[in-house]
Amino acid sequence: MSERRITAGAWSASPVILFLLIGFAAPLAAIIVFSFMPPRTFGFGGQPTFENYVTIFESTTYISLLWSLGFAAMTVVILAFICYPVAYGLVRVFGRWSTLVTLLFVIPLFVSENVRLYGWLLFFIKNGVLLGSLKSMFGLDLESILFTRGIVLFGMVYVYIPFMLFPLTLGISMVPNETREAARDLGATRWQVFREVELPLSLPGLMIGSLLTFVLAVGAIAEAKVLGGQQIIPIAHDIEIAFTYAQNWPLGAALSVLLMLIVGALVLLVLRRVDLDRLLGRR
Amino acid sequence: MGRNGINRRNFMQQSAMFAAAFAAGSGGMFRQAQAAREKELNILCWEGYNSAEVLDPFRTEMDATVKAESLTNDPTMINRLRAGETNVWDLINVNNPWARKIMYPEGLIKPLDKATFEPYFANMLPGFEWPYPWCMSEDGSELLGMIQRFGPYSFVVNTDKVSRATAEDVGWDLFNDPANAGKYGILESDDWNVFDICLIAGFDPFRDHTDDEVAKFAETASKVFKGAKVVGDIATMNQAFVAGEIDFHMTGGVYSASPARADGFLNIRGITPNKGPMPGGKGGVAWIEVTSLVNNPELSPLASKFLEYVQDPEVSHTVAFAEGTFNPVTQMGDPKCFELFTPDELEAIQWDSLGEEMAKSAEYDIVPDYDKLLDLMTAAKREASGG
Repeated sequence: MSERRITAGAWSASPVILFLLIGFAAPLAAIIVFSFMPPRTFGFGGQPTFENYVTIFESTTYISLLWSLGFAAMTVVILAFICYPVAYGLVRVFGRWSTLVTLLFVIPLFVSENVRLYGWLLFFIKNGVLLGSLKSMFGLDLESILFTRGIVLFGMVYVYIPFMLFPLTLGISMVPNETREAARDLGATRWQVFREVELPLSLPGLMIGSLLTFVLAVGAIAEAKVLGGQQIIPIAHDIEIAFTYAQNWPLGAALSVLLMLIVGALVLLVLRRVDLDRLLGRR
Repeated sequence: MGRNGINRRNFMQQSAMFAAAFAAGSGGMFRQAQAAREKELNILCWEGYNSAEVLDPFRTEMDATVKAESLTNDPTMINRLRAGETNVWDLINVNNPWARKIMYPEGLIKPLDKATFEPYFANMLPGFEWPYPWCMSEDGSELLGMIQRFGPYSFVVNTDKVSRATAEDVGWDLFNDPANAGKYGILESDDWNVFDICLIAGFDPFRDHTDDEVAKFAETASKVFKGAKVVGDIATMNQAFVAGEIDFHMTGGVYSASPARADGFLNIRGITPNKGPMPGGKGGVAWIEVTSLVNNPELSPLASKFLEYVQDPEVSHTVAFAEGTFNPVTQMGDPKCFELFTPDELEAIQWDSLGEEMAKSAEYDIVPDYDKLLDLMTAAKREASGG
């Protein structure tokens, strides 16, 4: 009986499995196979080789990789500090204004990331909205901060805010009011309530937000291109060059596989140290 | 029994019937699609030919479905054909050397009917007369494509900061001068940047290079990228000019400066150096687009008709000023086409100096060791970001 049910379940799931195989696994497999094809070839018929990986390890690709990993890590840390108080406010302080504040964070998502970044470019550019206004109103002639590494980080923090904020909001809303009240009744100070009750109990949100933000930010490219004027070359840009101007699809595929492996390994490492199921209270 | 006659017992049977019906339906659609190629055209092109202003009148006239995908570098488009997309596209629009030297020898494109297209060359600007070499096969026997947009493409200056005369005289050495570090930008156009780094290093890009030249190339690329204030697209370059962030940028010319010039910023001007290391002492590089018929086994008959359609004076003018960038067209040799250009439009495309700039430019060609030089330049760019 149970065997029959499993079979029926498998059959019912087969359309989804087929869809995942075609839509997710097949392209991934294609990228992996392509990474072992001879450089600058365009089919799967070549003699498999490790040449692309050797090229990567012999080159200065590590610079791009370090920029991407470093900027993604910094984005996560900065966003955690920015988003926690906002998320706390959304859950506990803003009351009926929460919806409006949430909308303010959500609405920009309806506008393309590139358009938003070009908006910031016009804001920060020399004689633009910020510096132009300061000059005309106060006579201040300041140097532009556009096309610097700092502005790339600003762009990444700005773009990835919702991906940290909303999981955090969920995490904080999962902290039962009773636990806070009990802590206060037992004589804990505000700081102790936060440090010993609210923060540990809202950790799942922080973890999920951090993972989501990190994985997305490691693949960021537009911020460095539009705001940073390519003062840094992230790994995603190296991949793009391999697939376009260099027309070295196997090298691009090898870079993609390496990035997936590194990010996958980092995420697994974090997940091994932090048991999300336990944090979420499922066990 | 479920409401739709589907229950747990007959679910698989019903699913199989749906699947079979879907497969039969798509099979029918596939056959229809093949038959409908007479009313379908797919164009792989640089931006402009994909604009509604150019395509809509043709769609209406032919009652056809016309799709155009725009890309901004030649190698990507050609490799799409190499990767098997010859059965997708009907027309490919790339720069001059590819049709004659690469695509025709590799069987990616097919010749045009000479009797139909030769007469159009009679109306083209001087220098583009029949038989225009970049349109012909190497042996001169076949017509491989039609020309339309073209332009000089070296670097652009803000003439309020660097005068046209100084820029033309100093030429590529503007980028060699350490005092200019932080004052210039680099357009993200890596294939052209390879040409320009060769020219800044002092040798002809369009021939094989010695080991010493390759080493000089790497050193120059490193220096040029380290000194750049910004690397970005055309919009970023023009915005940086207008805001005063940069004084000049490479690669650039009428193609990249024209959107700003059309907005009234006539101080932003494409420059062709007076001298350089290429044959005849030329220092500039110019491009000429060639549009060819793809060697598609089911080539749409509309492909050839579209090439005729864009020769029309009014359509040529629309192509010159289609969205994106603005460029001269070879059809301006026809007075009926030329008179459609307003004085402002002529100013935007630097008509006043176009002839002399083309004369000072070598024509875009294949760089034999492009892969090696591009890899060196990419590494230099990456290392500049790490330093």
